[in-house]
Amino acid sequence: MSDERKRSTVETAAVAAPDAVAGRRFGATTMQDAGVVTVVAIIVLLLPLFIPSFVSSLVTKIMIYGLFATSLNIIWGYANIPSFGHAAFFGAGAYTAAILVIKLGITSFWLGLLVAIVVSAAIAAILGIPAFRVFGVGAGAVNPIYFLLATIAFGELLSRVAITIRPVTGGSTGLSGVPKAHIGFGSALSEKQFYYLVFVLGVICLFLMYRILSSHYGYALRGIHDNEKRMQALGYNTWLYKYTSWIIAGVFGGIAGVLFCYFGSSVIPSQFAMATSDISFLLVILGGTTVFFGPLVGSIFYVGIEYVVSIYLPARWPLIFGGLIVIAIMATPLSRQRYQGLGPGVLLLWRWLGRAVPRLWRREIAEAPSPKRGV
Amino acid sequence: MSQALVTGLNGLSYAFILFLLAAGFSLTFGVMGVLNLAHGALYMLGAYIGLQVIASVHQFWAAVVVAAIALAIVGYALYWFFLKKLYNKVPQQGVLTIGVSLIIANVVLWIWGPISHTMMSPRGLTGAVHVGSLGFPIYRLFVVGIGVLVLALLWYMQDRTRVGAIIRAGMDNRDMTVSLGINYGLVSTCVFLLGMALAGVAGVIGAPITGAYPSMGDNLLLLTLIVVVVGGTGYIQGTMLGALVIGMLDTFGKAYIPSVALFFSWIVFLAVLLLRPSGLIGRKVF
Amino acid sequence: MAPLLETKELSVHFGGLAAVRSVTFGIEPGERLALIGPNGAGKTTLFNLLTGQLKPSGGKVYFKDQDITNASVFSRTHMGMARSFQITSLFPEQSVMVNAMIGLQGVEKSRYAFFRPIFKDRVLTSAAQELLESAEIWDLRDEVVSSLAYGQQRKLEIALSLASHPDLLMLDEPSCGLTAAESADITKRVRALGKKITVLMIAHDMDLVFGVAERVILLHYGEIACEGTCDEIRSNALVREIYMGSRKQPGGV
Repeated sequence: MSDERKRSTVETAAVAAPDAVAGRRFGATTMQDAGVVTVVAIIVLLLPLFIPSFVSSLVTKIMIYGLFATSLNIIWGYANIPSFGHAAFFGAGAYTAAILVIKLGITSFWLGLLVAIVVSAAIAAILGIPAFRVFGVGAGAVNPIYFLLATIAFGELLSRVAITIRPVTGGSTGLSGVPKAHIGFGSALSEKQFYYLVFVLGVICLFLMYRILSSHYGYALRGIHDNEKRMQALGYNTWLYKYTSWIIAGVFGGIAGVLFCYFGSSVIPSQFAMATSDISFLLVILGGTTVFFGPLVGSIFYVGIEYVVSIYLPARWPLIFGGLIVIAIMATPLSRQRYQGLGPGVLLLWRWLGRAVPRLWRREIAEAPSPKRGV
Repeated sequence: MSQALVTGLNGLSYAFILFLLAAGFSLTFGVMGVLNLAHGALYMLGAYIGLQVIASVHQFWAAVVVAAIALAIVGYALYWFFLKKLYNKVPQQGVLTIGVSLIIANVVLWIWGPISHTMMSPRGLTGAVHVGSLGFPIYRLFVVGIGVLVLALLWYMQDRTRVGAIIRAGMDNRDMTVSLGINYGLVSTCVFLLGMALAGVAGVIGAPITGAYPSMGDNLLLLTLIVVVVGGTGYIQGTMLGALVIGMLDTFGKAYIPSVALFFSWIVFLAVLLLRPSGLIGRKVF
Repeated sequence: MAPLLETKELSVHFGGLAAVRSVTFGIEPGERLALIGPNGAGKTTLFNLLTGQLKPSGGKVYFKDQDITNASVFSRTHMGMARSFQITSLFPEQSVMVNAMIGLQGVEKSRYAFFRPIFKDRVLTSAAQELLESAEIWDLRDEVVSSLAYGQQRKLEIALSLASHPDLLMLDEPSCGLTAAESADITKRVRALGKKITVLMIAHDMDLVFGVAERVILLHYGEIACEGTCDEIRSNALVREIYMGSRKQPGGV
């Protein structure tokens, strides 16, 4: 290769990388993702200074649900593994933390978190083996019905186990009275301090998930989403990818569960069951599966509506919840999957701002009288 | 031992109720490939509508007919507004029907209130047949009778009629069936409505045994799923077998070892799903 | 020289239908072999057996002297097989650039890397650039695949099959649905592939077949009806009877 050609290839390669579509199918670039995240993070950090505490408790819930939903999106949105039983991991995390504190007297938050991560991973690893035997190209029916039913079964089974082994799990009423989190120094956390703990953990987890999803592995998941058959033909062991992504999603779901346990100070069997899984996929679909922080946006919307309804129409909440599901599904223009959900809307808004603001700025400068011009 | 016979009748009648319920689901799932997770809620709707009709006009059979028609209408609305647009998108169908089931459950709660209602078995079917020292409730015998009748009809339709042949052909190869000039869309819609009506009938007939309470939709949906998976789809015999297995297991379990009865059926469900996903007598899906 | 790929009595049944019966053939390293036959003859089914997408009911497949009859699809790719698909099989919601990168990664260790952002991998991005440039679709790199024209998708389809640097390239109707000009372009590209790549090709386009192949096998009702060089096939009456019908052949009827 001549020197000139080599140089231009390197130049082109250098230009290609930031130029090429770095984000997911929606086309967000890393810079824009980072921009939105920074702004939101700053808002969340400063919020408790300005608002009454019940609002910051809502925001804590938003963050926890956002983590829960984003973990589901790893498999639902990216790898195309729709699961109706993600609450199995959420409940596993919550119950592990609660049992550790209440039944075993281990008050360290970090230890509880660690054990919950291990437990969630173990449950995911065990359940994943049979689950993927009935799903996927070459495994069984490409029709995911049996897999969906299996995921429902997982959640329901765990919830029934929780109801049955009363001495450990508190039976059908669960365990309550989980004390405030203890992070190792000082006294137990106040609500506001817990808010910041959730924030820090949330940011770390989201960052980790983002990195995983933007890596070679993450793009392999997207490939599997689009065309598993071709992925196998290209040399990918697709079962391994699906299995490991299932475990990863389970771990982050379990972390959300731990946080929720401390948030609500109690755990109940329905945290394993369909009732909670319903929330997880509503958040994912509402917020959009095609953008990384879509589920987070869905979470904001959901918690907001849940709060308003709990004040004015509490008895009708299941109806409204069901209505949200129906609207979220039917409002997806299925031919334009990329724009599904609220997340892409937010992104479009952000990009529009990103273009409109500099334009306004430049216009101001251009309109200022320029000393160099003759006129 | 003799008590076991009574429990056996209870199990059998329960099995037939499950069969009536699951048959509807099996038809829509097996024939159309549609995942309708609102099925339990629809059963509940049927039960409550039936309850209302009985409370108003004291006519049991009128209640059955009204429930069947009402559910067929609701089912058609479900198909027309939603399911038609989600052709082949199974997870979306599942999510949507979960949403619908929540709506229906809450509407029922809204209209009829949170108290459970016990529906008395209709006059003429109360009491029991006494054989020796055992009493076999007449209503349960009636349920078994109706169940056998419906089973026979559906089995006949599946194996001996043209419609049944069309359905079986369509399950194998939809495109081919359509290209033979058969209006498979019409057939599958009719089958769907039949499944809905069946759920309504099951709701009314089953209510004196299963009761009518606001959260019954969820329980019954889960039971339906278990029955259909264990028995297998595509053959009505499979659904009957699944219903028998689960009905008997559940009833005997509750009678003799109540503590584990709760998740016995679930273990069976998972085992079948993972070891023999096509079910005991199902069409080979795998 | 031992054949690169060999089958012995390979067959597959679907219920009562024998889609492929007792097929025995081999392909030498560097050879260009074309598989022709009327629709439904079992050509794509045979491909699926060779690549592992379908498990045979009987017979064996050998690649590089190893029995791969029961090997998984992806392990065969690592051994050096690659295929393109008759019905374009790409990643429709990703950009062309991402398609190329996913394609190239399949046989690389880095496909399991889960923390490094993929676009920082200069080796991968420049390899993708090379691949797309040689397929002449580099300027489409940011387009989402589902928005591409059919001909452009076919180019990407074939580029992807080359991404794993295969020893055996299996093309399933590479010019399917393309215009005459585009087909001629495909013919030129396949001819330009070096001797290090062995090519097994299913084709209906006779210009493509005769332009590329050294040897031709005719499949009919799942069996090998005849095989030979291009000239032998061209003049074979049975072939004409089975398959070519009224097509005007260069120098023929």
